[in-house]
Amino acid sequence: MAETPWIILGNAIRFVAVLVLIYLVLPTFVIVPLSFSSESFLSFPPPGWSLRWYEQLIAHQDYGIALANSLKIGLPAAALATVLGTMAALGLARGNMPGRTLMTIIVIAPLILPPIVLAIGLFPIMVRLGIIGTYPAILFGHIVVSMPLVFITVAAALKSYSPTFELAAMTLGANQWRSFWHVTFPMIRLGVMVGFIFAFTFSFDEIILALFLTNSATRTLPRLLWEQLNLYMTPLVAAATVVILCITMLMLFIAASISRRSDAKQADGSS
Amino acid sequence: MAAIDTAQRAQTLVRPWTPARGYALLLLAPAAVLAIFFIWPLVQVVIRSLVEPEIGLGNYARIFATTTYLRVIANTMTLAATVALVTLVLAYPVAWMVSGARGNTLYFCLALILIPFWTSVVIRTFAWMVLFQRRGVLNSFLVSSGLIEQPLRLMHNSIGVHIGMVHILLPFMVLPLLSSMRSIDPTIMRAASVLGANPLRQFVHVYLPLTMPGVSAGVLLVFISALGFFITPALLGGPQNMTIAVLIEQQTSRLLDWPMASALASLLLAATALLYLLYDRISRHLGAAGVLGG
Repeated sequence: MAETPWIILGNAIRFVAVLVLIYLVLPTFVIVPLSFSSESFLSFPPPGWSLRWYEQLIAHQDYGIALANSLKIGLPAAALATVLGTMAALGLARGNMPGRTLMTIIVIAPLILPPIVLAIGLFPIMVRLGIIGTYPAILFGHIVVSMPLVFITVAAALKSYSPTFELAAMTLGANQWRSFWHVTFPMIRLGVMVGFIFAFTFSFDEIILALFLTNSATRTLPRLLWEQLNLYMTPLVAAATVVILCITMLMLFIAASISRRSDAKQADGSS
Repeated sequence: MAAIDTAQRAQTLVRPWTPARGYALLLLAPAAVLAIFFIWPLVQVVIRSLVEPEIGLGNYARIFATTTYLRVIANTMTLAATVALVTLVLAYPVAWMVSGARGNTLYFCLALILIPFWTSVVIRTFAWMVLFQRRGVLNSFLVSSGLIEQPLRLMHNSIGVHIGMVHILLPFMVLPLLSSMRSIDPTIMRAASVLGANPLRQFVHVYLPLTMPGVSAGVLLVFISALGFFITPALLGGPQNMTIAVLIEQQTSRLLDWPMASALASLLLAATALLYLLYDRISRHLGAAGVLGG
C-alpha cells in the first residue's frame, strides 16, 4: 500500500534520527583519543601518541584521593539509599494509607528539583551541625537525591507481580519479616540491585551538592574535574574523564545484564 | 498503663491488623530522612528569603527592581524554552526510529541513549569545551580544511550553551517519547491505514495525538531541568548567558548574599514545584519507570 514518496520520507526521517544519535554520542568520545596525546595541548588529531597522561594521572595524588572520596561517599550513600528507597517502595506499593500520592511525589521530588536549591538549603544546616565538609554531610545529601532512583526501579519490580503471593505466605503462617525475606525479596532482588547501581552511578557523577558540601580534603572526582576545568585544560583532565567514563559504562553494563536476566526470568515465570 | 492497653485494644478492634498497615510502617525511616534532609532545608531557604536581612518581601522587591536580575530570569526562561523545543524536534525522529527497532538494534540504540543519560554533566560539557575552544577540535578542522579563515567564536556565547544543553538534555526527551510510542497499539495505525488515511494524515490525526502524553512529559522534564542548569552555562556561556542557578551560586560564593540567593532559589523552587506537579499528572499515564528509562 505504501507508495514510494512516503518510503523516501520515512528513510529521510531515519537519516535525521541517525544524525541526532551521532550528535548525542560522538562528542563525548572525542575525549578518548585526546587523552592519549603526546603533547600538552588539546588538538585533534593529537600530534603523537603516548600514555604519559595516564602515568601522570596515577602519580597525581589529588586524583587518587578524589577517586577514593567518590567511592567512600558513593558506596555507603548508594547502600543507604537502596535500603531507604526499597522501604519507601514497599510501603507505598503495598501499604494502604491516606496521602500515598503526595508521599510518592515527595519521594521522587529530589530527582526533579534543581540541585542548587537543595545545596543552598543543606549548606547552612550542615554548618550549624558542625559537619560541613565532612563525609556525613555529603553522604546525607547524596542519599536524598539518589533514593528516588531506587524507589522507581523497586516500585517497577513490585508492580510486576501480584501482592497475593505475600498474602498466601502469611496465610500459611509466615510472619511479615519471613514473608518479605522468602517471598517478596527474591522477586524484587534484581530490581534492588539495579537500583543500587543507579544510586551509586548518580552519586559518582553528582557535582552541585559536592561543590557546596565537600571541602578540599573530601572533594569527589567530579568536583576536582570542575576545579581543574576552570583553571586549565590539559590531556590530564581528558585521561581522568576517560577513567570516569569507563567506570560509568561498566556500571551501566552490569545494570543492563541484571535487567536482561530479570526480564528473562519473568518471561520464564509467565510461560 | 491499663488505660493505654484498653485504648490500644479498642483501636485494634476498630481497625484490625492487616499486612498493609505493617507495610505503611516501613515508610517511617525514608520519611524521616526526607523530612530532615530535603523538606527542612527547602523550608529554611524560603524562611531565610523572607526574614533576612529584615522581615518582609524586601529581597523579592529587590529582584523585581533590578534589571540585571530580571534579565537573568528572562534569559533562563527563554533558554529553557528554546532548549525544550529544539530537543523535542530532534528527539521525536529518534524515538520514532527506536520504537520500531527490535532485538539487538533496539538494545544498541537504547545503549546509545542511556550511556549519555548516565554520563556526568561535567564530562559532557568538557567534551564541548574541547570541541569549541578557539584552537579546539572543530576550529582546527574547519581552518585546516579551508572552510573558514578565522577560527569561529563558539564558546562563551549563546551558541555554545544551546548546543551543549540540547545535547545533554536529549535523553530526557527521547525516553518519555519512546515510552509513549511503544505503548501505541499497532492495530490502531493499521486501522487508520485501512480506512484510507495517507501516512501524513495517520500521523497528524492518530500517531501525534497518541504520543502527546510523552511530548508533554518530555517537554516539562527538559524545561524543568534546563531552568536549574548550572555547569554548562557556567563553562560554555558568557556573562550574557547567566542563568538563575549560576546567579545563585555567585551570590553565595562571591557576594556572600545568602538572603538574596535564598530568594532566587525560592522562585526557582516555586516554578519547579508547579511544573513538577503538572508533570506528575501527565506521567501517571506513562508510568514513572518508563519516563526515567529504568
